[in-house]
Amino acid sequence: MTGLSASFVPIMAVLSGQAEQMETQRASVEQMESSLTALLAGERFDWIRTESDAFGTQLAMGGPDPDEEEAEFGEASASGPSTPKDASNSSILEQSGTPDQLEMDFDGLAADDALIDGRRRPGVQKELPDRVTQNNPGAVNAPPPEAFPTDEFPVPDRWRIMQSLCPAKGGDQAIYTLFGALRNNCHSTLNPYNQNVLKGDKPIPADKKPGFLKGDDWFFVANAISDTVIEPRSFPIPVGVQTTERPNSIDVFGRSGSEVYAQTFITGFALIKGSTAYKPPDVEYRLTLATQVNHVNVPERRVLFVEPSKSSHRTDWFVGVQEAFFDYHIRNTSARYDFDSFRIGIQPMQADFRGFLFQDNQLGFRLFGTRDNNRIQYNLGAFVQLEKDTNSGLNDITQTPRESYIFFANLYRQDLPFVGLTSQFSVTYNMNREKSDVEIDDNGFPVRPALLGDLRGRAYDVVYPGYAFDGRIGRINLTGQVYGAFGEDRNSFFTSEPANIAAYFGAVEASYDVDFLRFRASGLFASGDGNPYNNTEAGFDAIFENPIFAGADTSYWIRQTIPFAGGGRVISINGRNGILNSLRSSKEQGQSNFNNPGTILAGVGVDADLTPDFRLSGNANHLWFHKTESLEALRVEGSIPRDIGWDLSLAAIYRPKATQNMVFRLSGAALIPGKGFKDLFDQTDKRDFHYSILLNAILAF
Amino acid sequence: MRKTFLTSAISAAALLLTSCGGDGGSNDFGGTPSPSPSPTPTPSPVDGNGGAYTAPAQESLTVTDVQTIIAQAVGEATARNLPSVIAVTDRVGNVLAVFEMNGARPTATTSARTALGAINNPLVDVQGVEVPAAAGAIAKAVTGAYLSSAGNAFSSRTASQIVQEHFPPAPTTAGLESGPLFGVQFSQLPCSDFNQRFGNVGTAALIGPKRSPLGLSADPGGLPLYKNGVVVGAIGVMGDGDYGFDPNILDIDDDDEEAIALAGIQGFAPPAAVTANRISVDGTQLRFSDVVVSDLAPLQSNYAAISGTAGNLIAVKGYAANVIIAGSAYGTEASGIRSSTATEFKNRDAFVLSDGAGTNRFPIRGATDGASVTTPLTAAETRAILEEAFIIMSRARAQIRQPLDSRAQVSISIVDTHGEILGIVRSPDAPIFGTDVSLQKARTASFFSNSVAASDLLGNPDTDVAAFVGRVRTFLNDPNALTGTVAFADRSGGNLSRPYFPDGELGRPHGPLSRPIEDFNPFATGLQAALIFPNLGQHLAFVTGAAPMDTPMRCTNTPDAVPGQNRLENGIQIFPGSVPIYRGNQLIGGLGVSGDGIDQDDMISFLGLHNAGQRVGSIGNAPKAIRADNIVVDLGNANVRLRYVSCPFAPFLDTDAQNVCEGL
Repeated sequence: MTGLSASFVPIMAVLSGQAEQMETQRASVEQMESSLTALLAGERFDWIRTESDAFGTQLAMGGPDPDEEEAEFGEASASGPSTPKDASNSSILEQSGTPDQLEMDFDGLAADDALIDGRRRPGVQKELPDRVTQNNPGAVNAPPPEAFPTDEFPVPDRWRIMQSLCPAKGGDQAIYTLFGALRNNCHSTLNPYNQNVLKGDKPIPADKKPGFLKGDDWFFVANAISDTVIEPRSFPIPVGVQTTERPNSIDVFGRSGSEVYAQTFITGFALIKGSTAYKPPDVEYRLTLATQVNHVNVPERRVLFVEPSKSSHRTDWFVGVQEAFFDYHIRNTSARYDFDSFRIGIQPMQADFRGFLFQDNQLGFRLFGTRDNNRIQYNLGAFVQLEKDTNSGLNDITQTPRESYIFFANLYRQDLPFVGLTSQFSVTYNMNREKSDVEIDDNGFPVRPALLGDLRGRAYDVVYPGYAFDGRIGRINLTGQVYGAFGEDRNSFFTSEPANIAAYFGAVEASYDVDFLRFRASGLFASGDGNPYNNTEAGFDAIFENPIFAGADTSYWIRQTIPFAGGGRVISINGRNGILNSLRSSKEQGQSNFNNPGTILAGVGVDADLTPDFRLSGNANHLWFHKTESLEALRVEGSIPRDIGWDLSLAAIYRPKATQNMVFRLSGAALIPGKGFKDLFDQTDKRDFHYSILLNAILAF
Repeated sequence: MRKTFLTSAISAAALLLTSCGGDGGSNDFGGTPSPSPSPTPTPSPVDGNGGAYTAPAQESLTVTDVQTIIAQAVGEATARNLPSVIAVTDRVGNVLAVFEMNGARPTATTSARTALGAINNPLVDVQGVEVPAAAGAIAKAVTGAYLSSAGNAFSSRTASQIVQEHFPPAPTTAGLESGPLFGVQFSQLPCSDFNQRFGNVGTAALIGPKRSPLGLSADPGGLPLYKNGVVVGAIGVMGDGDYGFDPNILDIDDDDEEAIALAGIQGFAPPAAVTANRISVDGTQLRFSDVVVSDLAPLQSNYAAISGTAGNLIAVKGYAANVIIAGSAYGTEASGIRSSTATEFKNRDAFVLSDGAGTNRFPIRGATDGASVTTPLTAAETRAILEEAFIIMSRARAQIRQPLDSRAQVSISIVDTHGEILGIVRSPDAPIFGTDVSLQKARTASFFSNSVAASDLLGNPDTDVAAFVGRVRTFLNDPNALTGTVAFADRSGGNLSRPYFPDGELGRPHGPLSRPIEDFNPFATGLQAALIFPNLGQHLAFVTGAAPMDTPMRCTNTPDAVPGQNRLENGIQIFPGSVPIYRGNQLIGGLGVSGDGIDQDDMISFLGLHNAGQRVGSIGNAPKAIRADNIVVDLGNANVRLRYVSCPFAPFLDTDAQNVCEGL
């Protein structure tokens, strides 16, 4: 971390509790940035939830770089999944380096041994060099220690070697004439953009270390991030049922434009023990709070509050505990710092590369580690879902946690089945026992059980077996995910009887780099339920999605929530920062719903890194429902077409200093409604599309 | 190309994997299961001449059917040890039999449990009234019969779900709006000038719709009867002495009366595909019955085995003799509701009300209120309004009917400003309740928009009624309220008739035409109940034999408009589905629609009137400036606007147009 303290990457790495992982995998800057946006933008309102995204990070837990193509701003090269930083060095010792091995195909060759034709690697040569024979007559030995002066100033630790040379303030500055570059290391200790005790660049000095911290090498890390969201958008909004904002509101749909403003401050503190730059830390304590103020203004009544008499704008604030954990490094299992660790408390958790199934900061226990020189990574975890604050989406620890439990096990293997491709095998079990639970959200709207069907409470068990891959084949970058969802819903709201859950999910994204351009193609399928009244629920729903896919939150459909007007009160077609059409009451507070129409997406996109500090991205996605029978049953409307429409978006990202300390993003998206959307919704504005504009500024200390 | 291939391949794989799993036995009420949804019909163009509807087959209950039904019900009542009074009616409300089991409670008491859960004291409106058990049973049966059609099977439990202060009544819905048919319980009243009474002679004997002794019922235990997919009547069971409603639909209410009724309908159960639980309102499923077939004791269907031993047929004054009669077949002249003739109505789909001898009871005519209106509605204008409304209905997508994308089916009534009926037409299978309700709605819109509304109410000898005028004026902060300056659609008046204002919002005062929430329950709706409370008392005294005279065929004690004409002769209605009719700025009548979703009812009346105005000129909806949605009530810390009408989402079958009333 030394020397990079001003960079966004380690801040986020630390913030997200990924200090260990950061050593072994590159965390991409933009991925961080997108995660931040995803995390923080928060506002949320009522059942037309525009809420914020959950605070979370996109770092795969224990997994490789989750978002390879979103990553690497300024690196146009098609890099594969992250390579262990130390791999090239350490492998030299074991490498035979015989030329004939280089001709072998990769199937029979470990990555350490591979040397691509025409490339060189430090320390590796195809032919062993001629033997060097030491022959140096007249050479003298180094002087013995006694030969050195004994009045030397002792260096407190290796992090302070350079600073120890700095002249005292007002003292003799002559050393700078000798070592001009030393000036760069001699700054006020309060300057955050230089090596700083408050940011974990240097350990806490022994004389200032509190007594309860035993041993050496304790680092303190404080960080602060400001995230600002200004978001004008439009989506179909029904006029109030009981009263309307304006006269002559005599149809279901009213005006559609609204605005969200959200300001979030993230403050994090951590105590880390360890030799951070060289091996995983031994112990970490971390606390991260997110404070958000949000303001929403909508054009109609009974959108933000259940009370129709209340005005159509709302200001709210909340302080959420997004991280509060203890992390313990149990042991190293190899000379390469393969390890076993556990972490307990509120911590980020991501079930897969792209956040399709579960990506949130939640309360739980996780055992994780690596093997085989970090080429195998594993996670075992048990989580309980914390209740979320309605309008910010942040964790509310003042409420009793939900009776929803998540158990998961996953295994990542690099270079499987091909070099450059990482595979993940996972099993995730969501045990929901909220049958008797009644939850009314902060705005007065019931969210559990959902106001859908028979309205009765539900409990369910669902197991998600999953397989994912991420990396590249040749020059084609690839990421993909397959999930099944199997289990039982104790009460299908259509039949009032138990129903089997059998649903499927698949997504794949491929990209190809040409110079500064990256071209992408994405496809996603989430099965829908075609017969609401049988005893199988075939609609795929996630636990808590935050997909980084197909343009992520710059896309209209992923960013915005569409209230299911006429088909369910306090029900949305899709969630905010979610892609699945799951008919939930709330992504954050509602239960999974497997009686849903499913989602199909096909799209293309391009990222253009015009300069190192400026990127333009464009996406064109087309969306469909898979099966509309559930929508039809709920709307009592027998002919709802599947076509949702075109989702077109453009995003510009500007980093004036080419760092992540200041990131500005402006994106605009439009939904051009297809037949299905038109059949479902309307608006009174004279505009035949919906828009989502997102202005996001992230400033990091 | 590639994505198409990819997604279709994945879908195909998913289909293969998901196609296992059979039909669940959920919500088994004994009707024929319907494993797959019916194909969506292709809507044919509507030209206003008919052909858009198929009339239901003319089916009816035989005496043997009724015996079987009673025997089955008695068997379950015996198994549950709840001797009850069991009534069976036909679709148009003729009471075919009333069977009183030995030991059955002779009376029941209307619930005094308020919306807040307390037993109210003192009692308000119709709360805590002791009624003959037979009256309760008949009201429940009428409810099942009148709310149902070949496209929807509703029960008194369904009614309970849609008449309370929040929809649906549940702990999770506090703060949400009231039920869509809030107030419908005060329809089909025993004082109605429209509904027929028992005791007609000759061909008129079985014409309907017949009145109900207690209006419609929200007490579980009233279920419809079907033969070959057609409503032929209903059964009502009263046994527990509590004539109430279900305040929580989240639980599974093991109601003995409902179980007895469910046993009764076995063999006559509605097809599974049309029961209430297949019909959603705003995504909330309606409820047919909490009891299912598997909860029932073994079926006993031998009438001879119980007749005279388990109980006896009884006569009910004003409703039935102590014999079993066969039901009328809906659609026949004898049932009082038949298809129209070409001279009666141009649209050949229309049904009309008949006197049993072939004469239309409500032929289209011009207005009778020349004494009050400069240019009254002409017969041609009345006809144009009914025709145009009928076209809107024929194009409209039904909200409460299966299969999906059925056409809406409603009853349409027009009155003049004196409340006189200028014409009533129905679609072939519109639920019966909407006939009386459409008339109530038409009269209510016409009444509250009338310049004499306040004076009529103040002239009512019941001080309870007169007091509402002052409350409205205070509430609206308008000393001249109810003097014709504002056009009130039924939705607008309904806003003022809820126990919370705005509707459903906790902590707010009651609407000035309603009761405080501390007093409210479905038996205490405020002005609506107060207007007919004396009539109900008179009638119940007659039924029990305490008084020789029945209530007159003319509800309320409101002064006559002119001798022989009264504006509120079947009571008022307080849920949406009507508009006042205007010629320029002058009120000239009211148009009421009932039978489908309330938004559909609103649209059929609003657009029907609009289109008629476009066609014949000079008549139309109220000018925008005087519509009730200009009224903003100052609640001190909030401003709440009244509503006028609300046209539905995805309203038509022949176009995907939305917001079709915008700007009109």
